[in-house]
Amino acid sequence: MGEASKISRYLYTVIVLFLIWLFLTASLDPQELEVGLLLALIVGAFTYEIFTTSGLANLHPRRVVYAIAYVPYFLWAMIMANLDVAYRVLHPKRPINPGIVECKTVLKSDVGKLALANSITLTPGTITLDVDDDRYFIHWINVTDDSVEGASMNITAPFEKFLKVIFG
Amino acid sequence: MLKRSLAILTLLIIGYWLAQGLAGVPFGQDRMLVGHYYLEHVKEQTGAVNAVTAIVVNYRGFDTLGEVTVLFIASTGVAALLWRKKKKRSAKTEGSVVLTTGTRLLVPFVILFGSYIFIHGHLTPGGGFPGGATIATGFLLLYMAFTTYEIPHRGFEKTEGIAGMSYVLVGLIGLGIGGYFLFDWIWQTWQLGTDNIGRLFSGGFIPIIYILIGIKVGTELSGIIDNMVKEEVSE
Repeated sequence: MGEASKISRYLYTVIVLFLIWLFLTASLDPQELEVGLLLALIVGAFTYEIFTTSGLANLHPRRVVYAIAYVPYFLWAMIMANLDVAYRVLHPKRPINPGIVECKTVLKSDVGKLALANSITLTPGTITLDVDDDRYFIHWINVTDDSVEGASMNITAPFEKFLKVIFG
Repeated sequence: MLKRSLAILTLLIIGYWLAQGLAGVPFGQDRMLVGHYYLEHVKEQTGAVNAVTAIVVNYRGFDTLGEVTVLFIASTGVAALLWRKKKKRSAKTEGSVVLTTGTRLLVPFVILFGSYIFIHGHLTPGGGFPGGATIATGFLLLYMAFTTYEIPHRGFEKTEGIAGMSYVLVGLIGLGIGGYFLFDWIWQTWQLGTDNIGRLFSGGFIPIIYILIGIKVGTELSGIIDNMVKEEVSE
């Protein structure tokens, strides 16, 4: 994905910062809104260069809808994975088969890779150890398939179908 | 062995003395002498809802000015101790994509939150010093994640000086208008914000001073970080 124009990146940063300000203050007092907008404009001017590379394109409706849908999907995956690990801990035979596997990802953008790495780590049973270009090194509590394709099918693919749309 | 037991014995004796001294102070009883005055008059006299910041900036403004001076001297002292002709970052390993991208996404939020803290100094806990420290944390993150990152020095040092001088200037304007240094002219003379105590545009000159202190502390601590992570390079 190429870099968006400076104006688009700046506006995107300001919009995100202003939304954060609304959540922080939790008030619609016009005084708070004025100061919040001013601050978003100032902080955005200093930080937009490091904050985003794709700018307003991130606010494409399809991406926003997928991002909202991803939250419950991810939470469900997290709950199931937690229960799975609890089962492994409580089971008297302790059915674990740990190992480090390599996965490949189809994601291109850095933010997408970050989101994927964090999604993998936050679902217990898998921890991202390192990311190198499109290769992920993952510690898996119960290795069922140690080939690159097989592990990717099991670990990264379920998240990728969402993250591919959200971040590219 | 003998040294250690002697040290433990001494500490026990000191601890006993302190406990004896504190035993005379009953816990949970009202022993405020000036405290009542502050709590009763803080709103009408300063316009701030947060009594702590009102005391720190308004009633006892000299203390805060002194603290700002101490920080300035600390920053200058570190710079003087570590002064070398040629300095460079010597870190070699770049962080992984998770670290660098995470930092990119977090830094704007950290800086925004730091500003939130010092702008709301007269309403919520916090103020200029925590806000400034939070902003410096953002720059620390950048230093940790990127091997080549450096703060823009010229801008930073100028901003720091201007913020510090503006603090003194606000006090001097008070001296001109009200007759003494750090007189709260915005509240006492202009009566600005008298009708909306508890909302953002109130609190006399506390928000203004805290914005200045926040900027000053933020740039200052970032400068200290910058001085400490760099190493000398031989030519």
